[in-house]
Amino acid sequence: MRERDDNISHNVLEEKTSRRSFLKRVGTAAAGVAVVAATGAVPKPAKAAQKSAAKPVRYLFAERQNCTGCRACEYACSLHHEGVVRPSMSRIHVLKYKGVVDVPVICWHCDDSPCINACPTTPKALVKDPKTNGIKLDAKLCLGAKCNKCMEACPTQFIRRNPDNGMPLMCDMCDGDPECIKACNEQAGNPVGPCLIGGKNGFGVNMAYRNVTPEDAGVDLIQNMFYPNEDGERKE
Amino acid sequence: MATPKGGYFGKILKIDLTQLKSSVLNIDADTCKRYIGGCGMGAHLLFDSLKTKQDPTGEDSPVFVGVGPLSGTACASTRCSFVNKSPYTGFLSHAEVGGFFGNEIKWAGWDGILITGKSKKPVYLLIQDDKVSFKDAQSIWGKDTHITEEMVIEESRDPYTKVACIGPGGENEVLYASVSVERFRAAARTGTGALMGNKKLKAIAVRGTKAVPVADPETFHKVAAANKRFAVEREGFQGIKRWGTAGLLELKHHVTGSLITKNFQTTWYPDIEEIGAEEANRRFWKKHSSCYNCPNHCMKLGVIRGGDYDGLIAEGPEYETGGLLGSNLGIADFDLMMAAIELCDAMGLDAISVGGSIGFAMELFQRDILTAKDFGGMTLEWGDGEAVVEVIRKIAFKEGKVGEFLAKGVKKMAEEIGGDAMDYACIVKGKEMAAHDPRGDKPRGVSYAMGTCGGDHHEGNNPKGQAGRCMHNSLVICTFVGGYWSPKMFTDLLNPLCGWKMTEADWWTTGQRIRTLERCFNVREGISRKDDTLPKRMLTEKLPEGPKKGILFSPEEMKKVQDDYYAYFGWDANGIPTEATLKALGLEFAIDAMKKACA
Repeated sequence: MRERDDNISHNVLEEKTSRRSFLKRVGTAAAGVAVVAATGAVPKPAKAAQKSAAKPVRYLFAERQNCTGCRACEYACSLHHEGVVRPSMSRIHVLKYKGVVDVPVICWHCDDSPCINACPTTPKALVKDPKTNGIKLDAKLCLGAKCNKCMEACPTQFIRRNPDNGMPLMCDMCDGDPECIKACNEQAGNPVGPCLIGGKNGFGVNMAYRNVTPEDAGVDLIQNMFYPNEDGERKE
Repeated sequence: MATPKGGYFGKILKIDLTQLKSSVLNIDADTCKRYIGGCGMGAHLLFDSLKTKQDPTGEDSPVFVGVGPLSGTACASTRCSFVNKSPYTGFLSHAEVGGFFGNEIKWAGWDGILITGKSKKPVYLLIQDDKVSFKDAQSIWGKDTHITEEMVIEESRDPYTKVACIGPGGENEVLYASVSVERFRAAARTGTGALMGNKKLKAIAVRGTKAVPVADPETFHKVAAANKRFAVEREGFQGIKRWGTAGLLELKHHVTGSLITKNFQTTWYPDIEEIGAEEANRRFWKKHSSCYNCPNHCMKLGVIRGGDYDGLIAEGPEYETGGLLGSNLGIADFDLMMAAIELCDAMGLDAISVGGSIGFAMELFQRDILTAKDFGGMTLEWGDGEAVVEVIRKIAFKEGKVGEFLAKGVKKMAEEIGGDAMDYACIVKGKEMAAHDPRGDKPRGVSYAMGTCGGDHHEGNNPKGQAGRCMHNSLVICTFVGGYWSPKMFTDLLNPLCGWKMTEADWWTTGQRIRTLERCFNVREGISRKDDTLPKRMLTEKLPEGPKKGILFSPEEMKKVQDDYYAYFGWDANGIPTEATLKALGLEFAIDAMKKACA
């Protein structure tokens, strides 16, 4: 079995890919699917990337109870935006709370955009793309490390600083085809289903689900997953 | 000195706990390629810095925390390796632990941490990229591993800090104390916890924000994605993903006939239905948890409902913890088994050695070699879960006669009792065996007997497999992912990452070099053919029941295993690497030491 199977990585190397088409796919485990499909090892999947490009994903949703904390989304995000695997530069991030539960911290792409409202510059350094709902940062206008306004305004505490230059890291929805969703789905066969879901029309997220800090979400998760219908006291 | 092109930062962080100072140890590209990282790099560094028969608890005895080139990259490489001369066995040992700790070390810009010296008062180490600080740990000294982790993360003011720490077991220098990583994972089998306790180092906290340099990112990321997909599609992968390693409990009982039961007296344990994966799934598991970028999420978390331990969140059972603290002790109460496992995690003790020691004591009670009089009025009967939980706590604090006695481990216990107690001691190279009975699972017997650390189930099932496992442990990649990959898939991954031109032949040579260097270290400490064997029970007592009834790991088989093994690695009949082998592998510096050891 090995002799036949171990050609996989080799086939990938042999395969002639143009740099451009590679860059489109780089970083997602979806690249794996496409590549393996090209070698004929598994049935060819539908070309999800092209389909979703036609109908951009405009909202992200995280089913927190489904997160296993693998942080594949972070890796895909940093690879797409920075070209390197560097979770500290990832927009999406996953907090492990008390070593027990994992809280995916995402940008909900709120319709009321508290971060953009809070941005003090004129014109605003943060702009929402009307087509994809992605939030883009104009690095020339942003005050960088001097200003905290968008980070303070975010009800989910999603926004973090770029460790190199202090600019906020904003989720631009990968222009309507979020890499994090693909990476989450690629962690295939998660017995409880993928955690990240994308949609065109939003999920009617209730504000109580959005307006929690990652730590509070962690407390909630421990309560809901481990102590349903109980007071949640941990015994030493 | 050439710096590595990719995959490495070329820097190892050197910590001197006596002076409370840190420095940088540069490693060149050639060293990286020869010893890879993890356990291989550890063997290289320790062979140089430790003298023959040096006391492992001495001031200048180091602990190496190693990561490999694949850590923190697109590849699903999750582990890090703790390498030191074990104070328990006296041999060079390495323990690998999953999670995010290893990746975080890499992202902080280091290829490993080499810790020497001894602090006067308790400290912990906080590494934030290049900034290294020694923090006072007096307030957390004495706390269990869970609280320690919470306090350290809170003090670092960064919830993404990853922590490896010791519990009361390590502080009290129980020789089989573990290092607890991210609350539920443990680097347990090297006695590193005892060494950290000896050095008064309570915890290592790391936070990194850098990216690993890659020589050819385009190719590397492509191959990494394809290799990950390949592992996901394997059948075995699906089982581990759904059931964790706990699924093996039933499998090894019903099919393989290698489930450890009552200190290796049998492998047949019908009560496994009460403590196995299906029962866990029914009443315990609430959440799957995963290491970095791993699609496997084999870690299962759950909570005990009702009873004395109501509300206790614990991880497991895994195959080893469930086997050693469940069937090995004759326990059929799921909650008590989970409480025992959780207590080992919290106290920072190696669940395998704890289970082995208690199992050994229970067998001595069964045979009336030990009585309640010897144990201060306490008895240890098969299946007495409450006593087990109490004893584990006593071991961690070396409390009373029982705690102090059991904290010595099986070998010293047997020696102190004398008589025929040694016949019931199931140890290899002075260390308890893991939960696979070598009579039912003979390839695992090879891993136990021939491996570097002794009694270790993760060292490869045949000579070639051991060379391969040395590579896995040096790349510090989890065998549930990397185990499915062939050497070619690894070299295809490593070459674009590090800018190497490694061939399959180089892969095997490097594995052999690392294994032989580890052997050289242990030969200096006095290891030879006589140590590469299984305990008497495996060689003389047939399995009384179960699927492998009547099977024995015969002494003839053992001899053949040894001969094949030495022949593959080019060692002489006594298990000493020959001069020609050392020259061929580029380990000339070890020739003198080997000659001295033979003389």
